Amino acid sequence: MDHEKELAILKRRLDREISSRRQAEAILEQKALELYRANQDLRILNESLEQKIAARTTELEDSELRYRQIVENATDIIYRADAQGYFTYANQTASERLGYTQEEIIGRHFGELVHPDWQQRVNDFYKKCRDEGQINSYLQFPILTKSGETIWLAQNVQFIQHENKIMEAAAVARDFTKRKKAEDALKTTQLRLTSLIANLQSGILVEDESRHVVLTNQLFCKTFGIPAPPEALIGIDCSTSAEETKGLFRDPEGFVLGIENLLSEKQMKVNEELEMRDGRILLRDYIPIFGEGKYLGHLWQYRDVTEEKRAEERLRRSEEKYRGIIENMELGLMEVDNMGRIMRAYHHFCEMTGYTEAELLGKKANDVFLPQEFTGVMKQQAIDRMRGKAGIYEIQLFKKDGSRIWVMISGAPIYNQWGKIIGTIGIHYDVSAQKRLQQELFEARLRAEEAQEAEKQFLANMSHEIRTPLNAIIGMTHLLYDTSPTPDQVNYFDVLRNSSDILRSLINDLLDISKIRSGKMEVHAKDFDLPGLVRSIQKTFQLKLEQKPIAVEALIDPRLDTIVRGDDLLLNQILLNLMGNAEKFTAEGKLGVRVTRKASKGNIITVEFEVFDTGIGIPQNKLDLIFQSFRQVDGDIKRRYGGTGLGLSIVKNLVELQGGTIRVESMVGQGSIFIFQLDYEDTGIKTSGISDATQSIHADFAEKGHVLIVEDNSMNRKYLSSLLKRWKVRHKMATNGKEGTEMAQLERFDLILMDIQMPEMDGYEATIHIRNTANPNQHSPIVALTASAMLTKKDKAFQSGMNGYVSKPFTPEQILPVLRQYLGLDAPMLGNLPKVSELSEDDESCNHLNRASLIDLYGDDAAYALDMFEAFFEKIEEEYPLLFKHFEDKDWSALSKLAHKLKPAFPMVGLSWLETDFQQLENEAKEGAEPIAIELIINRIKTRVTAAMPLIIEEMKRLRCLVN
Amino acid sequence: MKGIVFTQFIEMVEQQYGYEIVDELLTNTNLPSGGAYTAIGTYSHHEIVCLVVGLSKRTNIPVPALLNAFGRYLFCTFSRVYDHFFEHFHNAFDFLENVDNYIHVEVIKLYPDAELPQFTTKRLDEKRLEMISNSERSMGDLAEGLIAACIEHYKETASINREKLTEDAKSERFLIVRAS
Repeated sequence: MDHEKELAILKRRLDREISSRRQAEAILEQKALELYRANQDLRILNESLEQKIAARTTELEDSELRYRQIVENATDIIYRADAQGYFTYANQTASERLGYTQEEIIGRHFGELVHPDWQQRVNDFYKKCRDEGQINSYLQFPILTKSGETIWLAQNVQFIQHENKIMEAAAVARDFTKRKKAEDALKTTQLRLTSLIANLQSGILVEDESRHVVLTNQLFCKTFGIPAPPEALIGIDCSTSAEETKGLFRDPEGFVLGIENLLSEKQMKVNEELEMRDGRILLRDYIPIFGEGKYLGHLWQYRDVTEEKRAEERLRRSEEKYRGIIENMELGLMEVDNMGRIMRAYHHFCEMTGYTEAELLGKKANDVFLPQEFTGVMKQQAIDRMRGKAGIYEIQLFKKDGSRIWVMISGAPIYNQWGKIIGTIGIHYDVSAQKRLQQELFEARLRAEEAQEAEKQFLANMSHEIRTPLNAIIGMTHLLYDTSPTPDQVNYFDVLRNSSDILRSLINDLLDISKIRSGKMEVHAKDFDLPGLVRSIQKTFQLKLEQKPIAVEALIDPRLDTIVRGDDLLLNQILLNLMGNAEKFTAEGKLGVRVTRKASKGNIITVEFEVFDTGIGIPQNKLDLIFQSFRQVDGDIKRRYGGTGLGLSIVKNLVELQGGTIRVESMVGQGSIFIFQLDYEDTGIKTSGISDATQSIHADFAEKGHVLIVEDNSMNRKYLSSLLKRWKVRHKMATNGKEGTEMAQLERFDLILMDIQMPEMDGYEATIHIRNTANPNQHSPIVALTASAMLTKKDKAFQSGMNGYVSKPFTPEQILPVLRQYLGLDAPMLGNLPKVSELSEDDESCNHLNRASLIDLYGDDAAYALDMFEAFFEKIEEEYPLLFKHFEDKDWSALSKLAHKLKPAFPMVGLSWLETDFQQLENEAKEGAEPIAIELIINRIKTRVTAAMPLIIEEMKRLRCLVN
Repeated sequence: MKGIVFTQFIEMVEQQYGYEIVDELLTNTNLPSGGAYTAIGTYSHHEIVCLVVGLSKRTNIPVPALLNAFGRYLFCTFSRVYDHFFEHFHNAFDFLENVDNYIHVEVIKLYPDAELPQFTTKRLDEKRLEMISNSERSMGDLAEGLIAACIEHYKETASINREKLTEDAKSERFLIVRAS
């Protein structure tokens, strides 16, 4: 290679290298410039950033101030609280609304301000927000202000977090109390309206402008047979409902057309009547609803008036019917105008008065028909009519022929369709016949009253007139018993006596009734022993019914233990009447009196008496009748049982006379109970005290001897009186049993000589009375004076409580031992009379006899006691063995009867416990108990009687010693 | 095309054939740039094509072989100049896989106007890597050279199986299979 070429290559290489370097330098230059510019831009950017930060900071400060002002001046409550719920900031509004200063709020826990009822709920709510990380929350709740006022807050709370931890809460709360109240009020109103509509007695359907259901009620659904509940229909489109339901209506097309018309016209239309296919009739109201001139929908109201329509129809038919009936009845109808001019006279009225309607029209009714004396009545009626009042009255009318008829007129005003009175309608009923009858009845009553008065007078007079000779007959009958009659004669006397007694009681009843009716019966109050009176009545009837299977009971309230003040005679009469009545209608079983102290007020006690029996009873429908005079349950009763029918009437009058009441309870076949109540004054004195008090009197008079003679026969009285005078025995006399008991009430006697057959009250009754009522002679010896023919009744004498008897006629020698025995006329004898009561203390071996009851029964009367013991002994000897025979024969009925008969004898000898055994035996045998049970009782009785008999014999020996 | 490709090409030719051949090429080839190149400049792609074709005529070596050799030369230069890129990768597959999404990304940062081929890779298994190149310039041979040099750089042995995916060879698939 040559040098030149090499040089040229090198030159070119150099050129290329230079060119390359320049290219590279140019590129680098350009890159450096770019770098410089970029650097420059960065610097500028940095500077402007600082400025921007400064500006932004100022802006932020301004903004915070602005926000703070907004917060301070906000109308909402704005506050901040720390994470625990303590206020850290509260704005002015918070202070104003809550009533606390801002300082008072800060540091307080927000829960303190919440209404107590809501604290739990609010706490729970915010706890949940925190737990679930819910940063923003909204809650409505009530709080209490400082003054205690409740305000409602709607509160937005935002939790402010830092690194996932709640640092504080910012809250904005608005007081919406007013809105809340308004809401509540609105809610209430809405509820009311909704429930009003739901309960309306019409079917309601409210639709909006596009025919969607807004509201409906149950009745609407029911009316149209929609099975869904009303709430389910809300929102449903009704635009096709007419077409769907038209089938329910009688005129389906008319129904659809009607609805279309209403909807297009939008005019209210009410009370459209729609007939349904099933016969119901509906009234429809269409009421369009406009709000501020804009159509908002409409209301349909459907009322089912089927019932009303039917009722109207019924009424119309009924009116027609009654008009027809009145026309067909014998009632004359006439209509007059307000001037009294006749407008219409119906057919029957014309017939009644004899006029034709043509003759009457236009005439004044009063001119035609009215007699002078009734113008006043008519005037008053006319005034009433104009006031719209109807009236019924009776007047006379002139008929056309001039005669008069009585008519009853029912007058009523006639109204026109505007409710104005245009006249009167009178319905006339011819009462002439009734008037005549009424007059006749009135006259008849006058005559009857006059006759009754005369009869009463006659009865009173006649009773008196009859009584006088009747008393003579009764008196004489009793005296006949004292004439030593033969047994046959005694029977005749009994009949005579019974008949005259009946006659007398009849006359007495009549007299009582006329006395009561004429008000002459008076109540005389005096002190008396009420239980005693009742007991004596019981004993009397017990004695009387001895031969009949009837037990006579007296059940006396133990609280009645004092002397009361009242009319004992009236009470006695009442009880005797009722018991007599009971006796009359009772064939077997029992009867008696129960006396109960019912009530007390101050010193007044109310006592209830019940007189019961197991008789035939009284039918329920006759209970009202029995207290009426002369009334008995029926004629058959009168025939079978006799009596005047006055007894119960007298009882009722006597009870009522004393201010009491009486009633009766009864069951046919079971018996009757007459119950009456009477008030008595309680004296407070114990009835037992009376006899105690008289004991001392007894002692004073014991030695002197004081005898009461009760005897209806004046000859006997004179005879006895002369004997006693001769023996210098002090005595008093009573002419019958009743007088005798009255005298026994007043003073104590050492001996009572008692005739048996006496008018008014016989000797038995008198004795019972004395023995059973509180009186000084309750324990005085009573000796019967009895006709020899009557001696068979000596048991009765003892049972009635008598101590002994003397048969009539008697000689002085016969009566003297009696006087000796009871009065101790001879000093030595008197001295030898030891008292039974002393015995009990001497002899301990007698302990088994009930001494107390023996003293109670016999006092110190050893002879009487001996008599009773002897009688007992005889009876036991005779009848006691029969008991075992009946038992072996298994004759329970006889056994029961025998037990019943023996039973009362045991207490008489101080073996009262055996009475209980016999009672048990009687009951068990009667009720058909097991033979083994009866055997047990019999064995017990046997043991006891065997043990007791030596005591009885011993006692009899002692008594005999004492007596002799 | 980046100036470094030209400067390295000139350098390789000068090393192999002497500057006389370089001068002849630059003088006889119609080059708009005038044949003066700097590594930081950017030049038309046609110039390198003309230079390679010119060298092939002058030396009678086929163009693909020349491009393959240039690829190997270029890789050696890169590994020397940009050694910091290589520190991150410890074998050829790792490196090749990151050409597109790491090395080219960094290149673009330095030379925003650089026009780079696109490589997508897929590791088929431990020994096989599929690499698909998409280039406007159909420089498959150059790429093969670069890949081969890379394998050698990491002192690995691998076969490179190359196939055209399009007629114009703008898209090609390289299957690199590492031996053992």
